[in-house]
Amino acid sequence: MKTIYKTFRSFLNENRIRINTFPILVLGVVITLLISCDNFVEVDLPGSQLNGETVFEDATTANAAMAGVYTKLRDTGLLTGRSTGLSCRLGLYSDELDYYQANDPNYFYTNSLFSAESGIQDLWNQSYNVIYSSNAVIEGVSASKSLSQNDKNHLKGEALFVRTLIHFYLLNLYGEIPYVKTTDYVQNSKVHKMPVSEVYNQIVNDLSEAVLLLPEDYISSERVRPNKAATHALLARVYLFMGLWAEAANSASAVLNNPLYTWEPDLDKIFLKGSTTTIWQFIPDSNTANSAEGNLFIFNSGPPASVALNNNLMSSFESNDQRKTHWTRAITDGNLTWYHAYKYKLDSGAGISSEYSVVFRLAEQYLIRAEARARQGDLIGAKEDLNKIRNTAGLNDTNALTSAEITTAVLNERRFEFFTEFGHRFFDLKRTGILDTTLASKPGWSHDDALWPLPAQELQANPNLNPQNSGY
Amino acid sequence: MKIFSFYKGRILPWYTFVSVIYLCCYTTRANPTLLKLPNQQQQITGTITDGVIPLAGVTIKVKGTTTSVVSDFDGKYAITANTTDILIFSYLGYKTLDISIGNRKIIDVKMLDNTTSLQEVTVNAGYYSVKNSERTGSIAKITSKDIEKQPVTNILATMQGRMAGVEIIQDGGTAGGAFQIKIRGQNSLRTDGNSPLYIIDGVPYSSETIGSTETSTITASQTSPLNSINPADIESIEVLKDADATAIYGSRGANGVVLITTKKGKAGKTTVTITASSGIGKVTKMLDLMNTTQYLEMRRQAFVNDGITVYPNSAYDINGAWDQNRYTDWQKELIGGTAQINNTQLGIAGGSSSTQYLLSGNYRTETTVFPGNFGYNKGAVHFSMNHVSDDKKFKLTFSGGYTSQKNNQPSTDLTGISRSLAPNAPALYDIDGNLNWENNTFENPLASLISKGVIKTNDLLANAVLSYEIIPGLEFKTNLGFTDLKNNEVRTMPSTMYNPAYGIGSSESILLTNTTLRQSWIIEPQLRWNRTFTNGKMDILIGATAQQQKNNRLYQMGYGFASNSLINDLSSANSVFTFTSDETVYRYQAFFGRINYNWQKRFIVNLTGRRDGSSRFGPGKQFAVFGAVGAAWLFSNEKFLKENNSILSFGKLRTSYGTTGNDQIGDYQFLNTYTSAGTPYQGTIGLNPVRLFNPDFGWEINKKFEAALETGFFQDRVFLTTAWYLNRSSNQLVGIPLPGTTGFSSVNANLDATVENTGIELTLRTLNIDHKNFDWTSNFNISASKNKLISFPGLEASTYANNYVIGSSLNITKVFHYTGLNTQTGIYEFEDVNGDGLITADKDRKTVADLTPQYFGGIQNQFRFKNLQLDFLFQFVKQKNYDYIANVPAGAFYNQTAAMTNSWQQSGDNTPYQQSTTGTNGEAVTSFYNYRSSDAAIVDGSYIRLKNISLSYDLPLKMDKNLKCRLFFQGQNLMTFTSYKGGDPEFKYAGYLPPLKMYTVGVQLTF
Repeated sequence: MKTIYKTFRSFLNENRIRINTFPILVLGVVITLLISCDNFVEVDLPGSQLNGETVFEDATTANAAMAGVYTKLRDTGLLTGRSTGLSCRLGLYSDELDYYQANDPNYFYTNSLFSAESGIQDLWNQSYNVIYSSNAVIEGVSASKSLSQNDKNHLKGEALFVRTLIHFYLLNLYGEIPYVKTTDYVQNSKVHKMPVSEVYNQIVNDLSEAVLLLPEDYISSERVRPNKAATHALLARVYLFMGLWAEAANSASAVLNNPLYTWEPDLDKIFLKGSTTTIWQFIPDSNTANSAEGNLFIFNSGPPASVALNNNLMSSFESNDQRKTHWTRAITDGNLTWYHAYKYKLDSGAGISSEYSVVFRLAEQYLIRAEARARQGDLIGAKEDLNKIRNTAGLNDTNALTSAEITTAVLNERRFEFFTEFGHRFFDLKRTGILDTTLASKPGWSHDDALWPLPAQELQANPNLNPQNSGY
Repeated sequence: MKIFSFYKGRILPWYTFVSVIYLCCYTTRANPTLLKLPNQQQQITGTITDGVIPLAGVTIKVKGTTTSVVSDFDGKYAITANTTDILIFSYLGYKTLDISIGNRKIIDVKMLDNTTSLQEVTVNAGYYSVKNSERTGSIAKITSKDIEKQPVTNILATMQGRMAGVEIIQDGGTAGGAFQIKIRGQNSLRTDGNSPLYIIDGVPYSSETIGSTETSTITASQTSPLNSINPADIESIEVLKDADATAIYGSRGANGVVLITTKKGKAGKTTVTITASSGIGKVTKMLDLMNTTQYLEMRRQAFVNDGITVYPNSAYDINGAWDQNRYTDWQKELIGGTAQINNTQLGIAGGSSSTQYLLSGNYRTETTVFPGNFGYNKGAVHFSMNHVSDDKKFKLTFSGGYTSQKNNQPSTDLTGISRSLAPNAPALYDIDGNLNWENNTFENPLASLISKGVIKTNDLLANAVLSYEIIPGLEFKTNLGFTDLKNNEVRTMPSTMYNPAYGIGSSESILLTNTTLRQSWIIEPQLRWNRTFTNGKMDILIGATAQQQKNNRLYQMGYGFASNSLINDLSSANSVFTFTSDETVYRYQAFFGRINYNWQKRFIVNLTGRRDGSSRFGPGKQFAVFGAVGAAWLFSNEKFLKENNSILSFGKLRTSYGTTGNDQIGDYQFLNTYTSAGTPYQGTIGLNPVRLFNPDFGWEINKKFEAALETGFFQDRVFLTTAWYLNRSSNQLVGIPLPGTTGFSSVNANLDATVENTGIELTLRTLNIDHKNFDWTSNFNISASKNKLISFPGLEASTYANNYVIGSSLNITKVFHYTGLNTQTGIYEFEDVNGDGLITADKDRKTVADLTPQYFGGIQNQFRFKNLQLDFLFQFVKQKNYDYIANVPAGAFYNQTAAMTNSWQQSGDNTPYQQSTTGTNGEAVTSFYNYRSSDAAIVDGSYIRLKNISLSYDLPLKMDKNLKCRLFFQGQNLMTFTSYKGGDPEFKYAGYLPPLKMYTVGVQLTF
């Protein structure tokens, strides 16, 4: 640089040129500065973002990544208590709920879904987004160098639990689906459907691993993160759907024998946040908020704004069924009467939160074991479990006698126990093969509605997912 | 694509620098001494006016000599010349006058607007400006004369129909809405990567949307910062289109460059201009919908078709809950209002020959066509100052503008509901004047007006240009710019917007606030050198750019308030959620240069280049080099044409070829990051993965070729420009769509696909009549363009397989082929392309419908009769577009177009529309949605529109020569001729308020 300037200067002197050198020097400095700072265009990471690798080097941020998964589960996708979740949509799709927002058609209610329908597309995408996030946690903690083994175990266990849970629902809604276990988009964009049994095997494998990883106790004071028992509870359900009765009963027993869970005879306390029958629940987004279900289902004057309980459901309750009294509420305008689900009694925040959305609860484990026992011929044990539920609802012991009768009674009991909870009704009708007979009189119902269509965009983006489910 | 870092070649710019210095020194030595002045004979004095006000700065030159003076502040001049001499009066934008002196000592001159001096007009090309006749690039221009005639607020609106190759679509008629612009077609597969680069007085102005989709719900797209620019402060808008003009903008020039130049002061007496106008706006076109009789008939039939005999509880329209004899035209009721528009502009300008200034202020208000008290207010201040030192070596230009907008709108556009609401829906208000909920059966649309969206935007833009002439011909110049935008959007959802019967209290009221801060600065030091040789002229420019833009966004929600009167106060919320709080930084640096050689005004060569670095790319991908060569041959200056030609007055052939790039991918996209989930879980705000990450993407590259012929006939009274272009974009930088199984909808990557845009643009300007009292000028432009995907290896196996077809436009949509109605079943039928007996989207949507406009343009005519001026512009577009089809099948609780009365009812009916269904007939529902995605839904959307009409009259005021008074009428979108039946044919996103037709009257005083 110096030599160039010298040459330049002497050139000027030799030629007797006098120019004002100042602006040239300034310009020279500016240009030099600009040339020397190619790294001017290298910017730091914005304060609101974290590098993917560093997230899993610290227990707090790694936990936050898992919290992000629960936030998505609570607020979007299949399990949200909002109107886009399964509690509402499958309630409408089957025979639990009626739809009143008639000027905004709901194709779940009319059973006229089509492959380009945005609701099924959104649920699909949100589900796989949660699966991606879970896989990212699994991969992140595995690669982490500084997380403690303890943290690694429970985080991986939770992520596995969530991954299986979502796949389980997708399988029962869309039929054969791909089981996604990596974050690699190149691989995930070409995935093929898997036979149903294969998906179940994957689920069982993952859950078996999660059982080993998750702690017995909850990692926090409230039951808002899945523990070992939650995994057993999900396994019990999965085995039930697979028809593996002994395994289903054993898994349910693992929960029912767990001293963390004690029976709550008061129907009004089951959905409170401190309920001892709760296995896993979602904590609301603030300490004054309550469940999304309460907000969705409760209405105080008729006609209802969006949904109300189906009249056929209401008239099917046995007389004296305390669940009708405690878990539903009648609203009348003097002329007509409508009912809403009243398991959650608060439709908005008022003071400190008292109701959380319960995803897994003890009653299901009793009824799973009841059904599994009945189907295996353990009729006494089956009736014992079934009557536990019936008695709490203020009903007498069941008078079912045979294995088949008890199984039917359990399924019937499930209808009144789990209405407007995550589509239990629809899945029960479906797995027992009585969807068509039960919903025959519903306008719009047809045999192929047992499966939802695969989203049209999905088939267009990945033809490996063909063929489309029949009827669409 | 060539990407390399200059680390090793860091010395190269120094060589350039040194060579330039050498050249300039050479100039000093070679410069001959100035010519001596001729003998003084007599002094001529006079005043120059434009008929009303004195003109300062007019150059008066004695013909054949170098003697020249400039008129002063009061338009006065004094020059010494011989009696036999001829004086030449010249001033930009006015006709040059040659006046023989004779015996006169006082010569007062009235300069006339120059309507034909197209060759002399200076065109701004960004880093340099060029005489129109000598430019090598493709640049379209409009000036304040065109802009002033239009009663609009967005500068893009002022360009519509007036520029060849520039396609502009208005998003909707809500004040503060955005416009879509495409310059020479779509280059990028990414639909949001096709915006041009905007430069205001040398400062890049980001057009990236601000705000949040949750807070600006009234408009189709998020808030556009371009609304901050006040059209009345604009002197000219130039659009750079080809490689020659855009390559100097390198990585950001692929989609064209829009240069906006604000008004500057002129030397002369202080002039005050006051313009006030007032007008109204109405929706251009309404849909023809069913009335109550037709609607109820459709509903009854739908229940019959579905085999439902008992009307459900929720079918209030038909089960007796609602009066079946009632009829309301909901479009008229909800969007049929009249918007009031008021605009006031005040300007003060003046200055001496060394310092000029301009100060202007503008205030505009616009109400809406919706019921209720909403409106858009905009205030703008603009200041400009120019200074030249006494020795003329140092120049300073400063311009600054501050705009403040407040847009208070309902948070819902009522257009959708006005089209869907049952015509027998109950009254909006009950007897007591309260919102009517009709016993909980009616979602009152006016309730949504209680939820408001208020958008406040303050925008400061300042720019200074300092230049110093080091030695004659060598100038050092620095451009400094600063922008500071603050946008605050608030959307309130008070509990009162819900039916009180639901018992929702203020503890469920919601406040959403979004604040965007955007700050940018730029420094551009430049060195320019020019020299005249015996046979030509050379211009060299080198410069550097350093730019930074910082965006801060804070998006929060307040939930639950003690009272709804506190809803605008976030701190009063029971719970506050922060969804987004981030800062993004975009940095950009470049070196650029231009070498231009003009040989005997016959051949011109223009070389431009730029080396760019952008922070939007990962390490190793940040730098790239772009360049172009342009050449022109002014054949009308050739001897053989010049000497014996009375018809051809101007002829130029020009061509250019070069590369530009595109970095519109957003910031930090190459990083693998997690960001806050916004809402907590167990008191912990979750972290979510932001995207699928791919660090290896780089510039999109765009190669442009253009050939054009510019010809002027009969002293340029007929001036025709024909241009042909071919642009190819490759290395497409896109968010490749992915199946949902990947967890995301796309991943950023470069795609080895090439998109070609070709087109012909024709601009014709004719001066049909040029008489003292009457003149008539016509402008015509037409652009026909073709967009084509020319290569895409692996398209069939990619996720784009169903979006694109090689050899077709990017703007296609693959649709089902509608084969007609099955008269037996009453269901729409479609071609089963693969013959599998099923109609599926991926297998049977194989018919290609091209939505690219075939051609578009405008015809403008301008008449002047004495003091009366009439100007009108017809804009035309030949295109296909989506028809209006309601969102849900006919038969549901949802109004339909009147045409749908012609629906199938029984076996054998041959009607255009299928059987109606309440929604339970799954087959009919599916085929309805297939119909919406079939070729039957794509219809001719061509139109001709009287875009603008302007009539003005200058009052002949005899008593005060210094006062000028002009009365005017202006209209926008007054008439539309189209065969399109789905409402207004100009739209990008369906279901929003159509553009408004506006009538304004006003007065302009100048003194």
